Amino acid sequence: MSAASSSATRTVIAIRLACGVLALLAWDLSLRLGLIDPLFLATPLQTFQALPKTAVASLPHIAVSFLSFFQALALGVGAAVVVGYLVNTSTYASRMFMPIFQAGVTLPKVTLLPVLVLWLGIEKTTIITYGALSAFFPMIVNVAAAMQEVKPNQITLARSLGLSRAAIMRKAVIPAMLPVLASGLFYACNAAMMGVFIVELAVARVGVGAYVHDLAVTFRTPELYAAVVLTSLMTIAINLAIWYAARHLSKWRTVDI
Amino acid sequence: MISPAAARAALIVALLAIWELSIYLSGASNILIARPSQIAVAAWNMIVGASSAPDFYLNIGLTIFELVVAYAVAVVIGLSIGTVVANWKVLGDALEPLLLALYALPKVILYPIIVLTAGAGLAGKAFFGVLVGIFVIIFNTSAGLRQIDPNYLRLSDSLGFGPRRRFFSVILPAAAPTVLAGLRLGFGYTLIGVLTAELLTVNSGLGRLIDWASFNFYTPDLFALIFLAIGLGILGNMAFSSLERRWVR
Repeated sequence: MSAASSSATRTVIAIRLACGVLALLAWDLSLRLGLIDPLFLATPLQTFQALPKTAVASLPHIAVSFLSFFQALALGVGAAVVVGYLVNTSTYASRMFMPIFQAGVTLPKVTLLPVLVLWLGIEKTTIITYGALSAFFPMIVNVAAAMQEVKPNQITLARSLGLSRAAIMRKAVIPAMLPVLASGLFYACNAAMMGVFIVELAVARVGVGAYVHDLAVTFRTPELYAAVVLTSLMTIAINLAIWYAARHLSKWRTVDI
Repeated sequence: MISPAAARAALIVALLAIWELSIYLSGASNILIARPSQIAVAAWNMIVGASSAPDFYLNIGLTIFELVVAYAVAVVIGLSIGTVVANWKVLGDALEPLLLALYALPKVILYPIIVLTAGAGLAGKAFFGVLVGIFVIIFNTSAGLRQIDPNYLRLSDSLGFGPRRRFFSVILPAAAPTVLAGLRLGFGYTLIGVLTAELLTVNSGLGRLIDWASFNFYTPDLFALIFLAIGLGILGNMAFSSLERRWVR
């Protein structure tokens, strides 16, 4: 590593640290200067002290939420892969259906929540259905994009090299599709988590959303902030792991000389 | 052969007809589901003020106002951060993982905190809308600016363009498609954020109306309001499509 690039790395790390320190300072000072009532905001120290106790108390809720999340994700992503594959095998079908699915990504599906509650009750079914619905649209858009990544030339080349069907899948089709599918999974994951938490906040009695909601309405402020920090760190860790996996999977595209 | 768009429209009409007929013939409970014709009547009654919906125009206006405020803030701050991050490499490298982590956070878990600190009124809802909508604007702005072919910039320098001409004649047209895509997605996400906030605290706006309809089991009104909310999203999308056709060549 050259001297210039190592000093740039040091600057990068310094900026990141400064951002963290500034955020903590702003958080702490807004309380110390009396900008926000301590009934509504706990200090960073109080939040930190509440972490162990809250971690233990929120464990069953986290387990419930993550089970719902995985079921919702599996359902939404599974449906998106099947429907996306079928629709995109024909150009006409893809031109006919994909605009609907593309619009579905940003249309406010949250307004359907009262209808889902009406039909399915305030049970787990509603949480999983809404989470799956949230994951479906971003995933299907990426399934379509992934299928475009498979270039006919590469298949022709693989065939003329005498590869079997299984080998063509393994060597040409899957490596081309995987990066886009993985980044679709990132968006689907994010959407499914958001979906699960929304329903839990709105109607559920167990789960992280319900727990956070209870802490907020009973003004157990340090525990509330500890629970939010804990959940945020866990969800960020999961989502970033998928993000960097997606980036790793597309490494083969850039040729190192 | 009919065009895919026409086939799509025909499919939607057919689905509405099937919906209408199947509910009519099966006699399904009017509390659980309404027929499209009933929904249309409920929507019409709300529009002409013949329904018992509380302060229909006031609440709709409030939602649109929250949306406009949140989107304006998201656009201004999002474009600024995106531009700074794209032009200042060290800062971009430093902030990228932080922005990505914030983006990867399901923001709704922060909503109870936002209500506590910013209140359940306009400020809290608009802030949540900004939080949901801003990241895609930041990422697309910085990506759009970074992907400009350096040859274009060299050309503008060798043609002796000043900084203003360089920005308006070279940088802006080259970055426009990606930036506009970000603005379009950002609008959709901001709308989702504002409506999520409204449905979680049902004290005003479209969320209040939806709560009124679902609480009283006025199912045709409920569906009419859902279509209205989705209509807001479609309208925004169409506006951006026409902008894209005009600006992106």
